[in-house]
Amino acid sequence: MRQGRRKIRLFIVQCSLFCVFLFGVACAQDSAKVDTLKQQIMQAKSKEDSYAAFEEIADLYFDANKYNEFVSFLDSLGKEKKELEPLADYFTALCRYYQLKYLEEVQNWDEYFAQGNTYRDQIVASAQKVLDATAPGDAPHLYARLILWKFHKDQQDAFSDEALENLMRAAAEYAQGTADIMPVKAAADELSAYAEKGKSRELYKIYVNRVLSSDIRAEDLKNTAADFYEQGNSELAQLVYDAYLERISKDCPKGKLIPILTDIARKFSSPEAKAGDPLYAEKIFQRIEEAGGKETFEQELIYLRAKNLEKAKLYAQAKDAYIGLTRRFTDSPHADEANFKTGIIYTYILRDAKNGKDYFEKLARQEAVTPQVISALYQLGLLKQWEADNSGAGDYYQRLIDKAKGGYQQIVALAQERLKEINAAKPLDYNLQSLLDAGLKEENAGLDMTKLDLKSSPPVPKKNKEVEITSVAYTAESGCTQVQIQYLWSGDLGAAQPASTQPSFSTRYDEPGTYIVGLIAVSPSGIIDRGLAIIDVQ
Amino acid sequence: MKRFFYFTLTCIFLFTATALAAKPQPKVYIKKLKNSRYQLIVDGKPYIVKGVCYNPIPIGQNHEYDWWSDPNKPWLVDGKLMQEMGVNTIRLYQGHEDPQEVKQVIRDLYQNYGIRTILGHWLGFWEYPCPLYGDKPFQEKVKKEILEMVNLYKDEPGILLWSLGNENNYSFSGQVNSWSSDEIDKEPDPATQKFMRAKIYYSFINALAGEIHKIDPNHPVALGNGELIGLEVAKQFAPDVDLISCIIYRGKTFGNLFNSLKATFDKPILIVEFGADAYDAYLKKEDQNMQAFFLESQWRQIYENLAENKEGPGNCLGGAMFEWTDEWWKHNENDAEAWKAHDTESNWSNGSYYFDIKAPKNMNMNEEWFGIVALSEEIADGLNKRIPRKAYYVIREFWKKPDLGKDKKRKVNKK
Repeated sequence: MRQGRRKIRLFIVQCSLFCVFLFGVACAQDSAKVDTLKQQIMQAKSKEDSYAAFEEIADLYFDANKYNEFVSFLDSLGKEKKELEPLADYFTALCRYYQLKYLEEVQNWDEYFAQGNTYRDQIVASAQKVLDATAPGDAPHLYARLILWKFHKDQQDAFSDEALENLMRAAAEYAQGTADIMPVKAAADELSAYAEKGKSRELYKIYVNRVLSSDIRAEDLKNTAADFYEQGNSELAQLVYDAYLERISKDCPKGKLIPILTDIARKFSSPEAKAGDPLYAEKIFQRIEEAGGKETFEQELIYLRAKNLEKAKLYAQAKDAYIGLTRRFTDSPHADEANFKTGIIYTYILRDAKNGKDYFEKLARQEAVTPQVISALYQLGLLKQWEADNSGAGDYYQRLIDKAKGGYQQIVALAQERLKEINAAKPLDYNLQSLLDAGLKEENAGLDMTKLDLKSSPPVPKKNKEVEITSVAYTAESGCTQVQIQYLWSGDLGAAQPASTQPSFSTRYDEPGTYIVGLIAVSPSGIIDRGLAIIDVQ
Repeated sequence: MKRFFYFTLTCIFLFTATALAAKPQPKVYIKKLKNSRYQLIVDGKPYIVKGVCYNPIPIGQNHEYDWWSDPNKPWLVDGKLMQEMGVNTIRLYQGHEDPQEVKQVIRDLYQNYGIRTILGHWLGFWEYPCPLYGDKPFQEKVKKEILEMVNLYKDEPGILLWSLGNENNYSFSGQVNSWSSDEIDKEPDPATQKFMRAKIYYSFINALAGEIHKIDPNHPVALGNGELIGLEVAKQFAPDVDLISCIIYRGKTFGNLFNSLKATFDKPILIVEFGADAYDAYLKKEDQNMQAFFLESQWRQIYENLAENKEGPGNCLGGAMFEWTDEWWKHNENDAEAWKAHDTESNWSNGSYYFDIKAPKNMNMNEEWFGIVALSEEIADGLNKRIPRKAYYVIREFWKKPDLGKDKKRKVNKK
């Protein structure tokens, strides 16, 4: 027993020593690397070479969160070689900027409060020294403007607008030279990360124009765009794709151009893509139509376009695309979904229950039973019940139950609830009544679905897997007085029964199909708006 | 003859000059500098408002507690601590029914510690069933109260200015303390309804400001407003107010507040309520650093926007932090038992206070934990013992050395 303990102790001691050894080795390696990089900097023949080495050293220090040590190192470097001062000053500003962020992140408040102002001073003063010592064609000049803008932007202070103007001017001046264009892209990336989309686009354009003015082949341009897309930089990918299409469209035969456009449209309309953008995808769909006419669209492509339009909330156009699909391809595997969604868009979004019912009826008349047929019967029953035609409503609900033949349990349960209401001469469920009133009564035409946003995540859930449905109601500000909002959820709520206090909920659907979740948000001054989520479960 | 002419001319000149010199400047006024920059002048000198909102409710009591008549005089203990911190102003949301007691508080704070008072009025905002600003008798009632307040306290040397209303403008949308009139009820468009409410309310404020100026030329009149909402209407209908006193909770900074105001309604701004709570609703523990972090950042921005700082818009006069002490009754004002407990359940959500926004349902704002000083259940001199939080020391140091950067232009003189 004692020997066992001794062995364990020995093992722990050995492990500890090994860890200390490894740490020592890592430190020694870093230290050796810093020495090597320092030598590179001292011997560098061009600014670009020394900048690369500076960046590498900075990464080593930043990764270890050794900010003060890095500033000391930069100080000594600047003293050893005067020409290095501007770069050392730039990295000093950058270092203090990251240091403040780091102190906030790890909540090292003692240093934050004691040194915060000093570090802030250093950011401004060091960046200013770089600006004084460099010309507009030098990369550090642009980087100094970038760090100053980020600093002021983070503080949201009175200087951030001016700093942004200075940055844009510096980028334009820098781009006029022949130097490497990557600093302009770096500035654009930062602007994009800060959601300054207009400004980032301006700089990306400068970058793309420079790339285009080089002898880059069309194929390489396409690959560059694809790379940006893969990196999640949708904005830049779109600009480069536009440039690529511009380059090839004059000479490219229609037969070759359309598959290229289709490929791009598919990328950007993908519901799960990080860089997806349904509006850009629709722009490409329009180019396909211009190039080859409507006939170019085979059924999968029409379906893709319709779903993309639905995702972009361009519902009227989505409805037209779904109708186009079912007219041209009557036996399309997507026909039921297209008809059902057309009915939903007509009824709940375009306030046209008459046309909506026609599409639900089309499905209800079908012999084959699909999830959409069952859902259409429920919608028809619901509309009848809302019109106070309980007998007609009861017929639809009964047909639904008969057709379901023991399946589609979640929708069958809803139909049974409605039947109970009818049999007990009770009114339609309050939340459903509110949703239908808001969507179909003339006096509620002002509820245009712009003040309430509904989202489901993941965008295409699988059956029996969790789906999160969230809402955001855009209300007038109320300061410290919290406005109590009531959330009247209705429709296909799946396994959940969200309360009226819940702005979001999680649920599961037990069958693939198209599900509809409705919401009315109510504040003390009345209905804020209505919202609808169309969820495709696989 | 010539001599007589010169003699007469000299007399006229001297008489005019003496008359002009004898016309006293108001005790407190706002000086407009070049480029719409503004400075608050008190007794002839620039004055930066370094304030706190003051409502010293002890543990176990609620807002109905009459602290004004507390024999232990909490304001004396608080005033000393405030003075040591560098506070020069308190904001009182409204006076009290006994004017002698109100005068005593104002005098004690001013005479003992040099602390001045911003005296406010709710303008009947919390009256049941709702504040009827479109109703003449209601307006008359409020006006009477306001003019009484001004007459009672205008000669108190400690008075700094009057602040009318708090976040009353949030009622324009009908979401908070909704009020209406026959004319508004007839209007179907909600946006027009909102404009009509704003017009009625701000016109009323303008009339009050005019009346106050008549009886008290020595103190400015502030329009209390939640954020900048409705001020485009105020510009049209309340031009006679001297400044805007805003309630702002935007987290680390005030964003574009100062430039936005300049563009909307070019008046000086005093941020009469801002701050951060000292409770982390996510980690479920007190976090004094988090509060100090937000407050220091907010004060830095206030200083950047003072007239003295040549690079900013220069329209800020200072601020009053919310608030001096914690108030333990706020989470559940109807349950006397709850007033004895320091409740940790959040009352509202604000994503700008990002450290604890991941709290359940994003409810991260803890109304009972906003004090710059915490209250202890331990009693000292008949009062809950005051325990300054970290923000007390951090802001004290900031006020001592409010450097905003090495650039000399960005330095602000200590006042």
